[in-house]
Amino acid sequence: MSVVGIIVVLAVLAVATAVGLVVRARAGRVRATRPTESVDETSGWALAGLAPDPDDRVLLLQLSSPVCAPCRQTAAALTELAEQETGLRHVEIDVAEDAETARTLHVMRTPTTIAFARDGRELLRVSGVPRRQELLDALDTELAARR
Amino acid sequence: MQLDPRGVRFAATITTVVLAFVLITGSGWLAFAQAIVFALPALFGMRFSPYGALFRTAVAPRLGPPAETEDAAPVRFSQTVGLVFTVVAAAGYLSGLTAVGIVATAFALLAAFLNAAFGFCLGCEMYGFIARFRTAGRTA
Repeated sequence: MSVVGIIVVLAVLAVATAVGLVVRARAGRVRATRPTESVDETSGWALAGLAPDPDDRVLLLQLSSPVCAPCRQTAAALTELAEQETGLRHVEIDVAEDAETARTLHVMRTPTTIAFARDGRELLRVSGVPRRQELLDALDTELAARR
Repeated sequence: MQLDPRGVRFAATITTVVLAFVLITGSGWLAFAQAIVFALPALFGMRFSPYGALFRTAVAPRLGPPAETEDAAPVRFSQTVGLVFTVVAAAGYLSGLTAVGIVATAFALLAAFLNAAFGFCLGCEMYGFIARFRTAGRTA
């Protein structure tokens, strides 16, 4: 029996519970871009390697890693969303292949989805599998600009 | 290959208990045993996971078929991360560098508990970081 060991077990479980609760509460929520993350004069469209079509209003740029189960769920959900919503595009980037883009955008975990307006402005970010309705509500104004 | 997510959580739960016992008993041999449990699926594929086999034979038949499955690749990668930490832990405890053993086991316990309790795969999240810093090191 190690007293230090028992204390370490209790400390780790307490820290892990706190971390887990914070991660779960934040997962999939739409949040505003932090000032430290914002990218001036860099368009997400250029990072995604495409120019917006006349109908395109919003780009969802998803940063993923190859060994990431929620990344695959996110990709499936956003692909479906982009098919249903006119003006919405979805592009997925693998950070293992394209670490430069992750660095440019200050992305620290995957999946992270960043929404860009047609003019390249960053609109919002989502870490984890996005909550569909929350994301659509947040993009409503931008998507409605086409009507 | 596809896995039953309930099996992954089951394995993480046993791992959590084993790693807690490593810290409580200070047993380097128990850490070594857990390292072997990680090594089998990490090296040979998820079907060689001992805890996974226990789940398939003893637990899954009572639960019925899974509602969804998940890809094996991320889980296998997380076993490799677990292997690295438990090898360091076993080496630390068995060589008398107890502090090294404690710290390495603590990190492994943190990751296993997050997976067991929240379904959050720290090893998978780290993959992006590792790739990121490797590239950063090359270009710097």
